[in-house]
Order: sequence, then C-alpha cells, then structure tokens
Amino acid sequence: MIHFENALTILCMALATYLTRAIGYVALRNRRLSPRAMTVLEAVPGCVLISVIAPSFASKQPADLIALAITLVAAMRLSMFPTVVVGVASAGLLRHFLAS
Amino acid sequence: MSDSETAALDNVGIEPTVKSEVWRGLVASSPVLLGVVPMAMVLGAQAAQKGLSVAEVPLMTGLNFAGGSEFAAVRLWTSPPHLLLIVAMTFLVNSRHLLMGAALAPFIKHLPKRKAFPALFVMTDESWAMGMADARQRASAGISHCFSLPYYLGVSAGVYIVWVIFTTLGAGLGPIMGNAESYGFDMAFPAVFLVLLRGMWNGVRAARPWLVSLAVAALTSVLVPGAWYVPAGAVSGILAAFYWSEPQ
Repeated sequence: MIHFENALTILCMALATYLTRAIGYVALRNRRLSPRAMTVLEAVPGCVLISVIAPSFASKQPADLIALAITLVAAMRLSMFPTVVVGVASAGLLRHFLAS
Repeated sequence: MSDSETAALDNVGIEPTVKSEVWRGLVASSPVLLGVVPMAMVLGAQAAQKGLSVAEVPLMTGLNFAGGSEFAAVRLWTSPPHLLLIVAMTFLVNSRHLLMGAALAPFIKHLPKRKAFPALFVMTDESWAMGMADARQRASAGISHCFSLPYYLGVSAGVYIVWVIFTTLGAGLGPIMGNAESYGFDMAFPAVFLVLLRGMWNGVRAARPWLVSLAVAALTSVLVPGAWYVPAGAVSGILAAFYWSEPQ
C-alpha cells in the first residue's frame, strides 16, 4: 500500500539526493585543475570519511571508546574483513560486560 | 539491481575482464555488508513504526539509497509527512556527496555521460571510498585509467541489493527485533572507514587536514543536534588542506 503524500515525499527526497551525487561531477568534469587544487582535492576523501565516523570518537560510553581504540589498532595492522570482525566483536563484548 | 545499474553494466560489457572486475567488487563489499544488514533492519523497523508500509520502505531505500538521510527522514516522518523539512534535511545530510562527486570527477571524466550519470546514482560512502582506494592502488601499479567502473559497480550492487532487501525485511519483521546497537554491529562502519583511511595514508603531513576534520566533526556532533557535523568537519578539513597547500 502506497500513500500519495508518502510517495511524493520519497520521490522529492530521491531527487534531492541524486542532485547531491551529480552536482560535484558536473561542476568539475570539464575543468583543468591547478596542482594546488589537486592537492586540496586529494585531501577531500579522508576529510569526508573521518567526519562521518567522528561521532564514534566523541562517544561518552567507555565501552564504545575502548572498542574504537581496539578497532583502530586492528585497522592499522589487519585487512578489511578481520578488522570488521574485531570491531564488531569488541564492541559487542565490551558493551555487554561494561553495561551500566 | 536497479535498471540504471544494469544499463551501466551492459555498456561496459565488451572487455573480457569486466565480469571478473564486477565480481572483485562484489567480494570486496562483503565485509561492508556485515554492517549494512543490521543497520538496514533497524531502519526498516523504525520506518514501519512511523507508519511507512512494507511497499513504501523499499521505494525510499531503492530510489534514495542513502542511509544517513533515510534515518534522518524516518525520524522526522509524520502522517502526512512534512515534505519541505524532510527534503531539506535529506539534501543537508547528503551534501557530502557534493565533495565526493567533485573528488571522483577527475577519475571518471573520460567516461561518457551515459555511464557516468547512472554510476553516480549508486555512489555511497562505501562504494565511493572503495572505488577511490582501488584506483589509487591501480595507479601505483602503473595502470592508466586507474578507476575501475565495473569494480565500483560491483561494490555498489552488493550494497544496493542488501540495503533494499533488508530494509524491506526490517519493515516486515520490525516488531520482533531488538536493538542492533547492543550487539556491536554499528562498529562495522568505523572499522571499514578506518581501514580505507589507512589505504589513503600518505604521511603525517598529508593527513593533518583529517585531524582538523575529526576534531571539528566530533565537537560539532556533541554540541549541535542533527547531521551538521558531517559538512562542518569536511569543510574545515578542506579549508585546512587549502591553507597548508599554499606554495612556499
């Protein structure tokens, strides 16, 4: 069952989201960038990624912070899959045993 | 898989390596999916609680396909929904895509628009970051046109299919489930992103803007409600990168 208002809102959301995905590409597709601009652009991915996960670093739960520290160490040494397993397991276990 | 994605795959389906590249992307997406499944179930369950139907949930997650904005939208959902508020929040939460698309542009500008525009439809944090990290690796291996579109589409397909299926499932099963966060699955995202950041590591000097982003985003997330911390952190990091890139 689909309501008209819900469907309309969802379609407008989808349009807004697609615009965010396409605008950056459209704006820069035919530009020749200076070396300085390239240097700045190279920093963008890391800045966006670390901003997305920043709230984890500001958590007030000791269990979450310890789990994050363990995950950080794992991420420096292991490949993707073992790191995820270590992260999920340490967060699950620490939250269980340090639950207040 | 969406029609646009299938179309994009057909367009590149001439070279013999395309199939293996799509497969490589699908396989690479599997650790990410470990985190996507529980988050999708939670979103579906929350959406059902707010009165969205089992048909409307995949409509949202399949057409919008951007998890952060969907969590924000569901939190704000009323009956009938406040269209302008929800669309504005969606644009804000997804504004990081503007930067991501800009960073991706040099890598895909050799592609025809009929491939680039459908490929952008499935750009997520995960597929974008993994596609870029892969491009960097291939570039250092001396491969020209280092961005592999089929690899990126493989990652995207894994995330897309799992996201749409499990949000729908979550909407159906919602009332039965507990809280996924208590099991630790949400730590999958920081884990994935930290490994991706290690792959982008280019020395402490080059990483200084990341620290600025981290500090500003973390502080903003504590002080300001909503999703402002993403644009705040990203923009301040980029400003720092601009400042430090000044020719000496």
